[in-house]
Amino acid sequence: MTSGDSPLPVDPLPGPRAARAAAAHSSHDPNSPAPAKSRAGTTSRGVRRRELATIALLCAVGLLALLRWLALQPYLDSVWRVEDDSVVELVSSELPGLKGLAGAHLQRISGHDGQVVQVSAGLLQHSARWSVDDRTRQQQSDAQLRLASLLDQGPVTLHFTDGRAVRVQPQLRGLAGQGVFLWLLSGGVLAMVLVTAAVLLAHPRWRNVPYAVISLCQGANLLAIGIETLPGLGIPQAYTQHGLFARSALDLFSAAALVHLSALQPLRLPSGRWIAAATWGGCALLLGLIAQQALPRTWWWVQGGMLFSGVLTLLLMTWSYRLERNPFALLMRRLAGAATVTLLLLTAAVAVAAGQNSIVQADASYSSVIWYLFLSTLILLLPIFSRAQPLMRELALLAGTSSVATSLDLLILATFGLGSFASLSLSVFFALAVYAGTRGWLMQPMSRRHVPGGERMFERLYRVLREVEARPRDSDELLTHLLRDLFEPLQVQQLDRPSARSRVLGDGSALLVPLPMIDAEQGRSADGSILLRFAEGGKRMFSRDDARLTDQVVEQLRRAVAYDKAVERGRSEERARIAADLHDDIGARLLTLMYKAQTPEMEDYIRHTLKDLKTLTRGLATSDQRLSHATAEWKTDIAQRLGAAQIELSWTFTFDRDVVLSVVQWSALTRVLRELVSNAIQHSCATHLEITATLESGRLRLSLADDGIGRNPQAWSHGLGLGGVRKRVKLLGGEVQWRENGRAGIVCTVLVPDLHPRQ
Amino acid sequence: MAVKVLIVEDNPVARSFLCRVVRESFSDVIAITEAGDLEAARRQINLTGGAQGMHGVDPFKLLLVDLELPDGNGMELLAELSHYPATKIVTTLYSDDDHLFPALQCGADGYLLKEDRFEVLVEELQKIVRGQPPLSPAIARRLLTHFRPGSSGEALPSDSGFNSAGAFQSSRPVPIEKPLDHERLTPRESEVLTYLSKGFTIKEIASLMGIKWFTVNDHIKSIYKKLNVSSRAEAAVLASKQGLV
Repeated sequence: MTSGDSPLPVDPLPGPRAARAAAAHSSHDPNSPAPAKSRAGTTSRGVRRRELATIALLCAVGLLALLRWLALQPYLDSVWRVEDDSVVELVSSELPGLKGLAGAHLQRISGHDGQVVQVSAGLLQHSARWSVDDRTRQQQSDAQLRLASLLDQGPVTLHFTDGRAVRVQPQLRGLAGQGVFLWLLSGGVLAMVLVTAAVLLAHPRWRNVPYAVISLCQGANLLAIGIETLPGLGIPQAYTQHGLFARSALDLFSAAALVHLSALQPLRLPSGRWIAAATWGGCALLLGLIAQQALPRTWWWVQGGMLFSGVLTLLLMTWSYRLERNPFALLMRRLAGAATVTLLLLTAAVAVAAGQNSIVQADASYSSVIWYLFLSTLILLLPIFSRAQPLMRELALLAGTSSVATSLDLLILATFGLGSFASLSLSVFFALAVYAGTRGWLMQPMSRRHVPGGERMFERLYRVLREVEARPRDSDELLTHLLRDLFEPLQVQQLDRPSARSRVLGDGSALLVPLPMIDAEQGRSADGSILLRFAEGGKRMFSRDDARLTDQVVEQLRRAVAYDKAVERGRSEERARIAADLHDDIGARLLTLMYKAQTPEMEDYIRHTLKDLKTLTRGLATSDQRLSHATAEWKTDIAQRLGAAQIELSWTFTFDRDVVLSVVQWSALTRVLRELVSNAIQHSCATHLEITATLESGRLRLSLADDGIGRNPQAWSHGLGLGGVRKRVKLLGGEVQWRENGRAGIVCTVLVPDLHPRQ
Repeated sequence: MAVKVLIVEDNPVARSFLCRVVRESFSDVIAITEAGDLEAARRQINLTGGAQGMHGVDPFKLLLVDLELPDGNGMELLAELSHYPATKIVTTLYSDDDHLFPALQCGADGYLLKEDRFEVLVEELQKIVRGQPPLSPAIARRLLTHFRPGSSGEALPSDSGFNSAGAFQSSRPVPIEKPLDHERLTPRESEVLTYLSKGFTIKEIASLMGIKWFTVNDHIKSIYKKLNVSSRAEAAVLASKQGLV
């Protein structure tokens, strides 16, 4: 049914509620995207498969039982044809008594007790369900019933118009006598039961029950058709007794269930419950009247009910789409529209044909069969539309086209009285025109309206890739942007749960895209997914091609980022190597030099240089640093140095936000502080150094106030040290100034207006 | 009898400088043995009863080990000497926690930064021998993470603030940290560590916690010991895992 890799569970018609629940992390929602769950869910999926297999087995056994029962029913192995003027002609027969009678016209059939069935075209017509006139229908039904009871009782005598009478013994039908069509239909029924079971098992919710009702009713209808079209003369008595009513009931049930379904899916309509209840009530009333035979023109009522349901479904879907632009509503509206229009055509054709000769009537029963097949393919496709292979969709379209063709053929035959060949070609021509016209319209929810050309697509992707390389942290946002561009969804949500690969959810209304694991290193390891809903403003359904496309896009992004990371890693390794070399070689030499220094000044100078070298190498090797960590180190270092110089330290550092310093900022601030403190130790002869720093909304204010002997800072000659301070503060985009501190000492103030975490 | 000291340092100038520091630090008679590389150091240690120090032969009382040696990393020696009954001190130019922390885990009782002034080094050395080892904010942070329940030293949680944990990745010594149920820190010890990680001095911490400064030092000593024990336990677990024991 569905294609290979998404066998089950088939996403049914979950609609927005399910998707919303998925967004709300409901772990109970089977529709929710959860790889974690799917891991745990493999067992439950296994159970589901087992249940499904059990159901398939049971259904197959049931069908075989039915076939076996049919095999035990008596029939006359013969082929008949309705000629003009309601004459029933024997075409061929394997029965011994009938062998030579090909071409003879059958008049009546009598049983051994003298009961007689008058033979008319209605006896051969398969279903009384599609007989328009009440009286004809009754006659037909009665004739079939009587024939069945005659066959049940034993040998019958066939009376032909030329006076010959042949006594034949009805045979048991056997499996061979059931024809290929019944077996094919049984296969179709099995498929429908399986799809229904899969939908129900995957999402056991009340909302899906109407779908199950429709599907099972139409499955039963197919079986009924199979029984009615059994070859030979004689339909089982049990079926002829109830078949007519059952088929009307099945059709009406399906119609009511369709309305019910559209009241629930994809959106639970505000007063959907009442609409559904009213429809079911009407359906029950109609059936009750039909059962009581209190309703004249039964066929018209049944057709009317079905058409009414179809139109009601169209209206409900239009309403639903207006409330929420779910492309599924659009799809359902179109499918229901196609079914309703073909039904209308068929009804008209059959009604017109009813007044015509028997050949046309025989055609009428066939065209109804084709319409049922069309309906069944639609029902089969509905839950898997977005995932089904294009072949399946084309098949459904073809069934629809044939349905149109046969109906048209019938109509033309009946109204214009053309020859059957002429009418057939005309109708095929029209049907093909209809096919060509509706194909695009019906498939539109599946097809992209503005397919971005290969070039534009490439350009967009390329642009996003480059941006991701430049700003890997924003990759989520960029991916979301790209997806927005590609699909123009109505809603975009970010979910926290991860997903392995892109999936179409909610039967095409939503697409789940995994976010590439890019930010794991930055600590945002909780990668998530993006949920897109209602592509192209709710006009289009997501398809598996879309999922594949997004998977490729995500993969490209992932690669781009991985490449970027590798480059960055290489770069930082290179830096670390340089840093280690500098530190080990130059550091060791400076150390030796320091130990050998002749004067304490020289020693201090070299020590200072060594410390700067260490800051430099560390800056090369480390990544960004938190302000709180940096200040802790500064403070420890300064406290130790001042302690050794016997200067008291008061240290106040307040910040409203623990920003992350870039390497440049960290190293600049470290060296500025070291230089200023060194300056105070060496020149100020202070006993107290007060260091205060505040960071308020990115504005850093740092001041060092000593109580030493320094005065008149304007007159200072700025040597290497203070010049370096100026340079570094300027690098930070700030300024530094020295002024006298009250009665004694100097205050140095560094002001950095915007200590933005990134430069 | 003279106190025996082993100085493992490849730079002769630095070695003699350290000798001066050691002599200045202690008034006892000092017998200093110098070694230029790991091999020489091991030879010297074997002469005095081997790495376990079990033979009762007069062992070294104080070891100063440089981390960057021509034939290997000083940490190897420290790891071998984890049961050697001496005060083991790392002397290095690397002051970052990525280099020092593993050394402390290997059983170092403290560290000296070689670029410090002579007086500072003397004071620090005396403090370590007295049981007042230094503890920089970065190392304190590292310790907090190390002792945090269920945390591993390697996979630092992002909120621990170790943004610079990747520093010196290429030249980083063999990581020994592994998650383990080691001894827990007492609340007091954690408090001390937290203050240290914020850059408070011992005196400030003492006044903040309302305790004597030497009590703070006791806590630090105890933390060192726990780190050592936990590291040794880790090593044991590691060894048993590899079938060495």
